[in-house]
Amino acid sequence: MKTAGLSLEQAPPIGLPLRLFLTAPLFLVAAGLLLAAEADVLLVSRWTPAALAATHLVAVGFLGQVMAGALLQILPVLVGAPVPGVRLVATLAHLFLSAGAALLAWGFLGGGGWMLVAGGLVSALGFAVLLGPLAVALTRARGATETVWALRLAAASLATTVVLGLILVVALVGSVRLAALPAWVDVHLAWGLLGWVGVLVLGVGYQVVPMFHVTPEYPRLLRRWLAPLVAGALVVGTLLTAWGAMPGARSAFLIAVAGLALFALSTLVLLQRRERVRVDATLLHWVAAMLSLAAAAVAAAFGASAVLIGVLGLLGAALGLTAGMLLKIVPFLGWFHLQHRQIALGRFDLRVPHMRSFLPETWARVQLVLHLLALGLVLGALAEPRMGWVAGLVLALAALTLELLLVVAAVRYRRVAQRLTSVP
Amino acid sequence: MDRDLDVRALEPPEPLERVLDALADLPVGDRLRVRLRREPFPLYDLLRRMGYGWSGTAAAGSFEVLIWPQDGGRAPGRSG
Repeated sequence: MKTAGLSLEQAPPIGLPLRLFLTAPLFLVAAGLLLAAEADVLLVSRWTPAALAATHLVAVGFLGQVMAGALLQILPVLVGAPVPGVRLVATLAHLFLSAGAALLAWGFLGGGGWMLVAGGLVSALGFAVLLGPLAVALTRARGATETVWALRLAAASLATTVVLGLILVVALVGSVRLAALPAWVDVHLAWGLLGWVGVLVLGVGYQVVPMFHVTPEYPRLLRRWLAPLVAGALVVGTLLTAWGAMPGARSAFLIAVAGLALFALSTLVLLQRRERVRVDATLLHWVAAMLSLAAAAVAAAFGASAVLIGVLGLLGAALGLTAGMLLKIVPFLGWFHLQHRQIALGRFDLRVPHMRSFLPETWARVQLVLHLLALGLVLGALAEPRMGWVAGLVLALAALTLELLLVVAAVRYRRVAQRLTSVP
Repeated sequence: MDRDLDVRALEPPEPLERVLDALADLPVGDRLRVRLRREPFPLYDLLRRMGYGWSGTAAAGSFEVLIWPQDGGRAPGRSG
C-alpha cells in the first residue's frame, strides 16, 4: 500500500468519506449521554439494556462509520482502480449504519424485539454494502501482503460478527432456540472486537505506524503470523463453543487477546524508537490506546470482570485509537485534495496551507485529555457507580470536541478550496 | 548553487510540503538537493506538472533527489 497508488483520479470525492467521519462522533456523544443518564445501572453488568445499547452505538455508529469512510479511501489504493458506484456505496453505508445503530440502541432500551430485528437487519445491510466492494478489492489486491491478509481476515471477521449478531437477535425475539445464549454473545463479541477491530488495527498499524511516526518496521515474523494467529484462535474458540467445551473456548479467545497484546507491546517499543521527535495528539492516542489494550489483556488473563475488560478494550483502546487516527486522516484528506486541485487548476499563485494548520493541535490535546479523563472516570465508576454520570458527561464532551475539531478541519478545507476555484 | 534539504526524519506529507516551500523560495539558477527516507513517487508527478526536472539516486538507507526548474518551474507561491 504505497502512496504511489494514492491518486486523486481514483480517490472518492472528499465529501463522501467526510460525511461518514463527521457523523461518527455524534454516536459517541449519544453513548456518553446514555451513560450519564443510566449511570446507576449501565456499568453494573454487560447484560444491562443500557450497556448493550451503548456498545452498539459505539460499534456500529462510531467504529463502523469510521471504518467505512477509511475503506472508501483505501480500496482504490489497493486495487489501483476507483470503487465502482462509490457515491451509492457511501450514501447507503452512511444511511444504514446510522439508522442501524440508532434502531439497535432503541431496541435494547425497550423498543421491543422487532425494533432489535430491524436494527440488526439495517446494520447488516450497512456492513453488506461495504463488504461487497471490499471482497472484490481484496481478491484483486497486490503488494503489501501482510496488510492485505490482515484486511481479508478483518473483513471475514466483520461478516462473521454480523451473521452471529443477526442470529442472536432472532434468538432474543424467540424465533429460534439457541442453547447457551450468553456463550454465543461472547463469540459475537470476540469476532467483533478481536477479529474485526483488532485485526484491522494490526493491518492498518503495519502501514501507518512506521510511516507517520517514522519508526522501524514491525518484525517480519509478527507481521506475517499475528493476524492469522488471532483469526485462527477465534475459529477454534467458536468451534469449541459449538462443541460445548467452554473452558477450551475461553483459552482460545485468550490466545487471540494475547496476540493483540503482543501487537500493543511491539507498537510501544517501535514508538519508543521513532525518529520523529515531535509529539502530537495522534501519537499520544496511540500510546494510550496500546497501554489500554495491554491492560485489557492482563485483566482478561486474570479473569477480571467482563465490564472492566470491555471498558479498557473498547473505550480505552478502540475509541482512543480511532479518535487519534481521525485527527490525522481528516486534515490529510483536506490537504491532499487541495494539493491536487491546485495543480490541476494551475493555480500556482497560491500556496496550500500545511496539513498541520488544518487542525488546532492545542484543542487536539484537549480532546485527548478529555478522552483519558473519561476513561479514568468510567474505570472509577466501576467501583463507585455514583461517578457514572460525570464519566458519561466527560465522555460525551470528549466526543463533541472530536466532532468540532473535524468540523474545523473540514471548514478550513472548504475555505481554501473556494479560494482556489475563485478568479485570481 | 545547490541547496540542501534533509527531510528524512519527517512524516508524510511534511517532506513534500517542505520541498514545495523550498522550491518556491529557490533563487533563480539554483538547484535543490533533497534527502529522503524513500523514493518520493508522489513528488515526481507534482514536479512534472509544475515544470521541474529531477534525477533520483538511491543511497545507503536513504534516497536523494536533485531538482531544477526546467519548463517554467512554477512552484506554488513562487514570485515572478
